[in-house]
Amino acid sequence: MEEKAVLVVGGGISGIQASLDLASRGYKVYLVEKSPSIGGRMAQLDKTFPTMDCSMCILAPKMIDCSHHHNVQLLTYSEVKGVKGSPGNFVVSVLRKPRFVDETKCTGCGICADHCPVEVPNEFDENLGMRKAIYMPFPQAVPRAMTVDKTNCIECGLCQKMCQAGAVDLKQQPQEVELNVGAIIVSIGFDLFDSSQIPTYGYGRYKNVVTALELERLLCASGPTGGHLIRPSDGKIPRKIAFIQCVGSRDRRFGTTYCSSICCKYSVKDAVLIKEHEPNTMVSIFYIDLRAFGKGFQEFVNRAKSEYGVRFVRSSPGEILEDPATKNLRIWYEDTVAGRIENTEFDLVVLCPALVPRAGARELAKVLGAEVDDYGFFKAANILTNPVDTTVHGIFVCGYCLGPKTGDIPDSIMQGSATAARVAEEEWLRKSG
Amino acid sequence: MSELDLGFMGEVANTPRGKGILLCIQCGRCSSGCPVARLTSEHNPRRLMEMIILGFKKEVLPTQLPWYCLSCFTCLDRCPQGGDVGEVTFAIRNLAVRQGNIPAGVAAQAKSLYETTRVINPVRTALDKRESLGLGKITTDGLEEVQKILKRTGMEKIIKSV
Amino acid sequence: MKYAFYLGCLIPARELSYEVSVRKVLPELGIELVDMKGTNCCAPFSIQSVDHASWIALAARNLCLAEEMGLDVMTLCNDCYESLLMVNTLLKKNPALRDQVNQILSEVGKEYKGKVDVKNLVDVLHGDVGVSKVKGAIKEPINELRVGTQPGCHLTKPKRIHFELLRGYNELDVLVQATGAESVPYERKEMCCGGPLRDINDDLARQVSRQKLKALKDAEVQAVVTVCPFCFLQLDLGQLEIKRHFNEEYNLPVIHFIELLRMGMGMKLEEWEVKAHRIPITNIIEGRL
Repeated sequence: MEEKAVLVVGGGISGIQASLDLASRGYKVYLVEKSPSIGGRMAQLDKTFPTMDCSMCILAPKMIDCSHHHNVQLLTYSEVKGVKGSPGNFVVSVLRKPRFVDETKCTGCGICADHCPVEVPNEFDENLGMRKAIYMPFPQAVPRAMTVDKTNCIECGLCQKMCQAGAVDLKQQPQEVELNVGAIIVSIGFDLFDSSQIPTYGYGRYKNVVTALELERLLCASGPTGGHLIRPSDGKIPRKIAFIQCVGSRDRRFGTTYCSSICCKYSVKDAVLIKEHEPNTMVSIFYIDLRAFGKGFQEFVNRAKSEYGVRFVRSSPGEILEDPATKNLRIWYEDTVAGRIENTEFDLVVLCPALVPRAGARELAKVLGAEVDDYGFFKAANILTNPVDTTVHGIFVCGYCLGPKTGDIPDSIMQGSATAARVAEEEWLRKSG
Repeated sequence: MSELDLGFMGEVANTPRGKGILLCIQCGRCSSGCPVARLTSEHNPRRLMEMIILGFKKEVLPTQLPWYCLSCFTCLDRCPQGGDVGEVTFAIRNLAVRQGNIPAGVAAQAKSLYETTRVINPVRTALDKRESLGLGKITTDGLEEVQKILKRTGMEKIIKSV
Repeated sequence: MKYAFYLGCLIPARELSYEVSVRKVLPELGIELVDMKGTNCCAPFSIQSVDHASWIALAARNLCLAEEMGLDVMTLCNDCYESLLMVNTLLKKNPALRDQVNQILSEVGKEYKGKVDVKNLVDVLHGDVGVSKVKGAIKEPINELRVGTQPGCHLTKPKRIHFELLRGYNELDVLVQATGAESVPYERKEMCCGGPLRDINDDLARQVSRQKLKALKDAEVQAVVTVCPFCFLQLDLGQLEIKRHFNEEYNLPVIHFIELLRMGMGMKLEEWEVKAHRIPITNIIEGRL
């Protein structure tokens, strides 16, 4: 029996784990990723919960393994466009978008970017920092190659001129590749709820109201401020920080009626991080319920209260008003435990938005013939007994694109391994002999 | 503290506008945004819901607690659960009125409605101005029908008893 | 387009100038208003607080009158709009409720059939007349006027599109801009004027409108544009009451949108209409008509 290959769509931690597990079992893995580099959301984080490890330090070795493993072929800056065939015999057409840089030649030295005259907001930094039109999304990108953002490129040709390796090719064309695979694993992750849908919180209007992911970029050493937590409006160090939970989650107004399951945990993590860094900062977390399930999390919350002095206010705030002079934020809320309406001024407000399916998830599901639920997350064949199978035989799913019942990084890794195991046990995929 | 009425929440939930009480998770977003709660501690939508849920019937129905609501529906707008405090407030008011708790201003409007079909009526000068501008007359043509309706619904009885 | 014109109680009692402007402007824009006869109060919040069934029946009676005329209803007052629209929606969606109401209405020889819609003035101007036609009717653009609009709580909440208010995409802002004036965003735009607390707790009513006026003042608007007679009362007469009780002056002229539109269309306001504004509107009409 011929050895079959496996397609993994989405190069975040979940997809990376699935790829490595399968590769080490001898399967050929095509890892397709939409953005220029694998890594996903975990690459954007500063520290992980509950170990407080540096996120990239845990992730990068796995990313390197993917790039070096002889059984893994990375197809970054690529998208799945069509799927034909049946389990055991899928024919997938993948569009390789032109990055206008030859990956085999590029050394990632960055001289091209140094000379590029065009600056645009960096999506990886949640638009808080800038990048050039020719760029590497983050320093530890895999593959280690530059990419040209053609929509903003002015085609001055400077990058091509400066490149010592002759890697820039501004005439590169998109490529359609056909892959023969026996199974497909979907691991495309999540997007954030658009917090500007709640105008009273001021996101998008007030500079010092940020999302938790933006906060991660501000805290991260590879981020736009070099890891210094400063306010977007004036670069000052914030002394009073508020976290607001359930921005969009558990909210029937937007259809995101579920609990996103990781926000209580990460906000406590971020609060403790900030306190460790600047103990004199006042940090308040505004919550409805504090969902700290699992091993070690409630204990962590308790320590946050007793050891670090993080304030927990049981309240879902009504509105945030900005002081036009100082750009400080005044939050109006009722402390439901005390039964008093209060208003407090903060320097920085961090919103914890709902986590929603990725843009393009429904379209991908359609291409695969897989079902999504009402929220747009991929549907498991049977939530109880087949939680990582999609409704299509031979297509599996892992990570947050399955929905918020998944926890955080360990759960995503677990599910990645689970899909690898599911693929391996399917008879039509087993190697002969 | 007086006795709790544990059936109070169910009683409210069974009224047409009171169903939302079953959904309240006491998150406080309603009172956080309530324009009146900002001004006085005597009015607090979340607390009102809490008192209903816990059964403080005697502390709610005879007091001014249900009456400072603006019906602006800011709470309804923000409630993540669809609990609709503003709606529940109407349900409570209906119950309170039947116990004889009705602010003078509301009673006056109800009386005016029963006697003239309108809650407010133009004064003489306004009627004269109307005539001088050639605008249509303000009549009480619908009065008989309105009174029949209010008798049938039982509101006539309430108005007469106030 | 023809509408059954539902006046409500407050306008004939206290804001004739609003009614007059509406009757002058709408025919010029192709809208014919047919007065409803024998209506009763829409059953605003005070009545809803007393009895639920009465609210439904009273509002339904008005809807029956419009059905007999074969016309959709147009209201001016936001409270009337919310009451009639909500009941119309409830009855259309709920056959059991409809049967209950019709049992009551049968005693007065009426039957609700669900054949008409309820619209407010902004719906009619924005939806039926259309912004381009409104703009086309402007002969004297209201240039250089910074306006804070007060859409009022019940203009959009019955349709549950409340959030739009803060983003300035609401229809009233679009209409104001069509006259040439500038609709300025301000904090707490969605906030209530405080009207419903009148006669229940006047002090709180004043405090609420005071918060509103402060937000408008902070945004440096030159005029406040209303559509609801209650909002007008609270924000216009309210400023005099606030001066008496809090010794604060805001000097913010308040004007109904239809009056602004009327001026923009080249029709002068008469003296008694100008005087109907407690806070002088000289800075709005000065240099124009």
